[in-house]
Amino acid sequence: MSMPSVEVTKTRDLLTKTSEKPKSKSFNKFKQVYLGPIIAFTIFIAIWQAVPTILDLKHYILPKPTDVVGAAISDWHLLWPAVQITVVESLVGFLVSAVIGILVSIILASSKILERSIYPYAIVLQTIPVVAVAPIVVIWFGAGYNSIVVISFLIGFFPVISNTLMGLNSVDKNMDDLFLLYNASKWQRMWKLRIPSALPYMMAGLKISCTLSIVGAIVGEYIAGIGGGKGGLGYSITVAAIQVKTSYLFACGIAAAILGIGFYLLVSLFANSMLKSWHESAVKGEK
Amino acid sequence: MDTIHKEVVAFQHVSKVFNNETVALKDFDLSIKEGEFLSFLGPSGCGKSTALRMVAGLGEATKGSVKVFDGSPKEIIKETNDLAFVFQDANLLPWRTVLDNVLLPLELRGGNKKKHKQEAIRVLEMVGLKEYLKSYPRQLSGGMKMRVSIARALAAKPKMLLMDEPFGALDEITRQTLQMELLDIWQKENMTILFVTHNVYEAVFLSTRIAVMSASPGRLSSLIDVKLPFPRRLKVRTEQEFTDYVDIASDRLENGNERKELA
Ligand SMILES: Nc1ncnc2c1ncn2[C@@H]1O[C@H](COP(=O)(O)OP(=O)(O)O)[C@@H](O)[C@H]1O
Ligand SMILES: [Mg+2]
Repeated sequence: MSMPSVEVTKTRDLLTKTSEKPKSKSFNKFKQVYLGPIIAFTIFIAIWQAVPTILDLKHYILPKPTDVVGAAISDWHLLWPAVQITVVESLVGFLVSAVIGILVSIILASSKILERSIYPYAIVLQTIPVVAVAPIVVIWFGAGYNSIVVISFLIGFFPVISNTLMGLNSVDKNMDDLFLLYNASKWQRMWKLRIPSALPYMMAGLKISCTLSIVGAIVGEYIAGIGGGKGGLGYSITVAAIQVKTSYLFACGIAAAILGIGFYLLVSLFANSMLKSWHESAVKGEK
Repeated sequence: MDTIHKEVVAFQHVSKVFNNETVALKDFDLSIKEGEFLSFLGPSGCGKSTALRMVAGLGEATKGSVKVFDGSPKEIIKETNDLAFVFQDANLLPWRTVLDNVLLPLELRGGNKKKHKQEAIRVLEMVGLKEYLKSYPRQLSGGMKMRVSIARALAAKPKMLLMDEPFGALDEITRQTLQMELLDIWQKENMTILFVTHNVYEAVFLSTRIAVMSASPGRLSSLIDVKLPFPRRLKVRTEQEFTDYVDIASDRLENGNERKELA
């Protein structure tokens, strides 16, 4: 019994075709994908540079891009440590929310009763604005680092839990039957079916959570202060605002934005490598 | 295939009602013997899947009973590897390679990994996919995916294969190839196969016996013994005897479902 040869060659063609990349097309791709945004960015910066000059705005009302860059360079010895501190806080907050979020989801999903009785509260908790409870966190965990990490964790935690739970419960009915037919135990189903099925959802949750964890760290710094040590970006922003160092304030804001984007890209990269053996387009499609 | 064989599946006055209203099966009575290739043939919604799934313990009878190998389907599933199910869509795990997909049932049952791998490779060879062990399902055509699905079902050496419109989504040429391959496997592995289809030609080509069903409520309307000799090759389809069986099956299908419309 052998494969019909037509079918075999077809698939081979497909496999080789996807692996070769025509080089002449890379410039076209550059033109299509990157050129537009680059031009838009340049124009935006040019207008930003021109507006304060034309309207004669003071640098503490609207600093020019050159002012912002200048402030970033001259206060680099303040900016760089602040960035590092915020990176550490949000990274720890993110990792804790990822690990605890996934663990809690798995525990909840492993028991229908547990999930039914606890998940509604998780949803209710999710709607509480974290900013509103942050002062309580500070009372419990003290000013500074610990509270900031906890606030970052609280903000990043719910997207992980809600996405992961949704994923764990989205297993295809037929797949479920298949595992039933092979007499799989509850934990076999969890490890070999539900968690892999949930992976794309989990990754989506992590992507949301990673940017939120930076928001959490910065908000945490606003509220929890620095507790004796050196402050992160949130603290720098508060101080710069009080001192009306608007250019430096802008530099901090942009640094936070870059941090967020960088963090998001890193997590996306991780997510893609996790999902590689899955399927590119077909998270649910291909049927 | 016509020697005295023991009964392997018994539907006894089985009725199945969903949600207290949809009558999927009514007073369904059927005895299936070891080594048969039995097709359930009927229009969409007549309860074919419901009947087949009951044999695998997926869903219980509202009234009556289903016995498999003299036991309850649930017990058989729990205690043996005797039943395997092939779904309409290949139902492969997209994150597992072809080999790992076929290994799944063996893995879930536990035991010697090396032996498992040998067994998996044996069945993949049987369906002609030995060169695709490391491919992922998304890299395969529909026909190849179905082959993997069949290989997975065969991996645990079942005594009975339950197939729910396995070739329904395939193109005609691939379907015909797979039909012949399936007959070869059936003969080689000495299995009983229960096969669901709504395609008259497919039912006649494959089966030793056809259970014609009619809809609302799902009933067994007649049984046809198909006495075409094995091995059956493509050209069987052009022979008079084959066409006669197709006529009979089509008639019974039509009558069974007309009767319902009049009633
Ligand atoms: N899980 C279910 N819940 C409610 N109704 C169902 C369910 N499964 C099947 N049915 C109904 O039972 C009837 C028979 O279904 P099925 O056995 O799938 O038919 P077939 O496989 O012959 O197309 C249909 O009317 C279908 O809508
Ligand atoms: Mg069906």
